[in-house]
Amino acid sequence: MHPLRDKYAIAGTGKSPLGQVGLNSMALLEIAIQNALDEAGLTVKDVDGLVVRGADDIYAHHQVMAERLGIDVNFSTSLDNGGASQIMAIILAVMAIDAGMATTVVCGYGRDSWTRTHRNERARMGGNLVPDSQRPREHGPEFGHFGAVSHHAFGATRHMFEFGTTREDFAHISVAFREHALRNPEAQMKKPLTIDEYLSARMIVAPFGLYDCSLNSDGAGAVVVTSLERARDLRRRPVLIKGFATHNNTRGFIADDHMLVTGARKAGERAYAMAGLGPQDVDTAQIYDCFTYMVMAQLEDYGFCKKGEGGAFVRSGALRLDGALPTNTSGGQLSEAHVEGMLQIVEGARQLQGIYGPDRQVKDAEIALVSGHGGNQVCHSSLILGRA
Amino acid sequence: MLEYKKPIPVPSDESKPYWDGLHEHKLLMPKCSACGGHWFPPTQYCTHCRSKDWAWSQVSGKGKVFSFVVYHRVYHPGFVDEVPYAVAVIELEEGPRMLSNVVGVPAEQLVCDMPVEIVFDDVVEGVTVPKFKPTAL
Repeated sequence: MHPLRDKYAIAGTGKSPLGQVGLNSMALLEIAIQNALDEAGLTVKDVDGLVVRGADDIYAHHQVMAERLGIDVNFSTSLDNGGASQIMAIILAVMAIDAGMATTVVCGYGRDSWTRTHRNERARMGGNLVPDSQRPREHGPEFGHFGAVSHHAFGATRHMFEFGTTREDFAHISVAFREHALRNPEAQMKKPLTIDEYLSARMIVAPFGLYDCSLNSDGAGAVVVTSLERARDLRRRPVLIKGFATHNNTRGFIADDHMLVTGARKAGERAYAMAGLGPQDVDTAQIYDCFTYMVMAQLEDYGFCKKGEGGAFVRSGALRLDGALPTNTSGGQLSEAHVEGMLQIVEGARQLQGIYGPDRQVKDAEIALVSGHGGNQVCHSSLILGRA
Repeated sequence: MLEYKKPIPVPSDESKPYWDGLHEHKLLMPKCSACGGHWFPPTQYCTHCRSKDWAWSQVSGKGKVFSFVVYHRVYHPGFVDEVPYAVAVIELEEGPRMLSNVVGVPAEQLVCDMPVEIVFDDVVEGVTVPKFKPTAL
C-alpha cells in the first residue's frame, strides 16, 4: 500500500461569489480562503503553508496573498502549470506536510477573467488572459492563431477525423453540465440548454462553438489540507486524499499523439495505483472542462471508455446526475464558473462530505476522481478523493 | 498597396535563419548531422539525439494537414475581413509539425491528412510568411 494513501485529508472547502462579480482576483481568493477556514473551524493563525495561483501577471502571488491574510508561513509558493496547478497545490501540500515542513496548508486559486475581458472593446476582442509580454511573437500570430480555443480545437478535429466523433456528441457534454448548474444556486449560468441551441449557436473556432467553450468568470476557490488525524478533530467530515499523480505532455500539444492522448492517461494510471482503485470504483468525476472535447479525451484516458468511444459514452447519458458516472455535478467550467480547476476539487470534496440535498447529491458517493488540465493542453494532474 | 494589418512575425535570435530562408523562398529546418532527423522550432541541440552537430537545411515544403481549425471569431483587428479562415498543423514530409494557414481551398473542404505544399507569402517588404495549399494531383 502506498505510504501516503489515506494519510492526509481535505478539512475544509470554500468558494467566493462566482460569475460577473467585479472584484479583483486577490480579493476573491481571500474570501474563498476565509470560507474554507471557517468551514474547517480554523483561523489564519493555524495556517503554516500556502500554495496558490492567480492570473499569470501577478508576480510572487503567494507573497501577496499571505500578506493579505496577515500571516508568515513555513512553506509557500505559487504555481505555473495552468489548470493542472490546483491539484498540484494539494500534492505539494501533502508532500510538505509529510516532510515535516508544515502542518496545515491552504491551497487556492482566484481569477477575475470576466472583469478583465469586459473592461473595453479591445479587451473583449482579444479575449486573451495572457499578458502581452508572454504571448508568442512568431510561429502563431502571423497566421491568426491566438491562444487556448484553437489549441484544444485541433484535438477535436483530429478526434472527429479518426473516430467519427460529431459536434452533437460534444453537445451532450455541455447539456449535461448545464443541467447540473441549474441545481447549483452559485452557478453563473441559470438557463437551460438544449442540443438544438448548442448546434445553432455561433461558431468560435470550429469545430468549437459558443457552448464548447468554458466561461469567463470572476471567482475563487480554496481548500485546507492537513493530516487525517488532525482533520478528524475539526468541524467538518474530512475528505480522504487517496491518490494523486501528474503527467505533462511537455513535448508539446502538437507533438506525437498528444492531441488525442492527454497527460490523463499516464497520470491516471499512477493515481489509480496509489489509491488501489480503478475507473470502475469511481462514483463521480470532476473533469477539467476548459472545452467539451477535453472532457471526452480525459474520460477515455481515465479508462471510463476506450479511446475513440467517448462519443458513445457521453451520448449514453453517463455524465448526468442519475447516469453511470455523474460528472461535473456543480456545472463545471462550462456552466458553474471557470476557476481553473479549483471548483472541481471543491465539488469532489463536497460530494464526499455528502452535504447536498437529494436534487444534487451523488447517491452513495464514496470515491471521486478530480482532474486538472492546462498549460495549453500539456500539463495534467489527477486526484482521487474518498469518503472518510 | 493596402496596409498590412496582421501581426508581423518577430524573429528570435535562434529563428533568424528560418525567416531569412523564407525571404529567399526556401523552407529551412534544423537537420541533425548525426542522426539525420529534422525538428522545429530551432533549439541548441538535436531534439532526437541531443547532438550539437546540426545545420539549417532546405526541406521539400510538402506535407499534410495533420489537423486544422476554422476561426470564426475575430481576435485581432487584422483578421476582420478574413474570417472564416483556417489555421492548420502541417506535418512536413521530413517530420516536423508547424502551424500555418491553408489557402486556396474553402475551409469547409479541408480534411485531415490532405496533402499540401508550401506557398511563400511576401506580406511586407522583407517579411515572408509560409503558407500551404492543396497539392496539385
